[in-house]
Amino acid sequence: MRFPVGRLPDEALLSGLATGDQELAVVFVRRFQHRVFGVAMAVTRDRQLAEDVAQQTFERAWRHAQIYDSRRGSVTTWLTTIAHNLAIDAVRARRTEPVAPEDLDALLGTVTETPERWALADEASARLRAAVSRLPREQARALMMAGIYGMTAQQVADAEQIPLGTAKTRIRAAMGKLRTTLSAPDRGGHVQ
Amino acid sequence: MSSDANCEKLRDIGAELALDVLPGRERADAIAHLDSCADCREFVRQLTLVGDRLIGLLPCQEPPLGFESRVARSLAQQAAADGRTATRAPAFPVLRGRARRARIRLGAAAAGLAVVAGFAGWGIGTAVQTVTAAPPRTMESEPMLVGDMTADSTAGSPIGEVYAHPGSPGWIFVTVDLAGHGSAYSGRVSCVLERSDGTTVRVGDFTVRNGQGHWGAQTPVDANSISGARLTSADGTVLARAHLQTGHVLTRDTHAPSQQT
Repeated sequence: MRFPVGRLPDEALLSGLATGDQELAVVFVRRFQHRVFGVAMAVTRDRQLAEDVAQQTFERAWRHAQIYDSRRGSVTTWLTTIAHNLAIDAVRARRTEPVAPEDLDALLGTVTETPERWALADEASARLRAAVSRLPREQARALMMAGIYGMTAQQVADAEQIPLGTAKTRIRAAMGKLRTTLSAPDRGGHVQ
Repeated sequence: MSSDANCEKLRDIGAELALDVLPGRERADAIAHLDSCADCREFVRQLTLVGDRLIGLLPCQEPPLGFESRVARSLAQQAAADGRTATRAPAFPVLRGRARRARIRLGAAAAGLAVVAGFAGWGIGTAVQTVTAAPPRTMESEPMLVGDMTADSTAGSPIGEVYAHPGSPGWIFVTVDLAGHGSAYSGRVSCVLERSDGTTVRVGDFTVRNGQGHWGAQTPVDANSISGARLTSADGTVLARAHLQTGHVLTRDTHAPSQQT
């Protein structure tokens, strides 16, 4: 019987990573590098900086594999959260200018696009993607600024040239709608 | 301010808290309130899940050529560094839970071993840039014992998996999901390895919640004598059992240079 290491569950790979098994570590990096690099690129919009962030993500995962707790989320979620936090820190350390409107619109378009390949995504992600696409444009922009780029409500207000209270309301309203979407009973069927 | 007023305030800023964009003072106040309000904790937990899933919508992208190699080299260097420091101090902080402590010891011990047995060769392999530039190659690696967990009540349907690595360091990883088969068992379970001569050895305990759990630890694994594994509850009831067979892990050959030039 041959057992391809590529079939090991994510948690098994992470456990192997914790033991210092170098072969499993390579497989682990190979399995998640596209996801991690994608998050880093989306936030930093800088290929070199994104590579640095992605590398730091795997170094941190390797160093802290022992404290991963599956009850708090999947390995993928754990890794992408690490990558996201590192990317935001890296951007904050390098520049202060707000995200360019065209970059924000492009990201929003990517997040809400529903091509055929997304039909195979898990149901919750498909519902969330559809819910984001249904948000009023100004709420979706505020959500992207805060949720993806890590901008505070004040930074959103400055970038959109709106009062602070309005920025807070947009973030809150958008997140509230997405929360309702995720907590609603599964009605079946994917986003068309 | 009354508790209701604090809850109302929390509902206003919960989204920003969950997205980690709340300024320091407001954040401190919000977290102080969460310490004493279970409802608001649940509210923020749900919003945090939204934030996590939002990040999950970002598209995957192809990393630069050689990225995998550079990460591998970096990990090898850090493993070497950890190996030197591990002799002076524990490599990881104290954490709660027996299973976690076992894994921490495992990690600390493995870091030293890796310098001698693993990462050195890995570093050599990954130093050759063309290895990662070329399509992944495979080699037959050390054997691994693998098997599906089943329970009497599941009529042979798999409810989990066992992986036991007989190399150095040897390790075992177990994942089980009883929930899909009507058992919401929660509590400590023991992982017991069965030998072909009928003897058994308990390799550790871990916690199963609502029928689900996974656990890994360093343990000697003799591929010639181990024939199975089972999970037992505290009263000795066998919850799941696996017959282990020797498989071969197929991995990329990182020690040999690519044939490309």
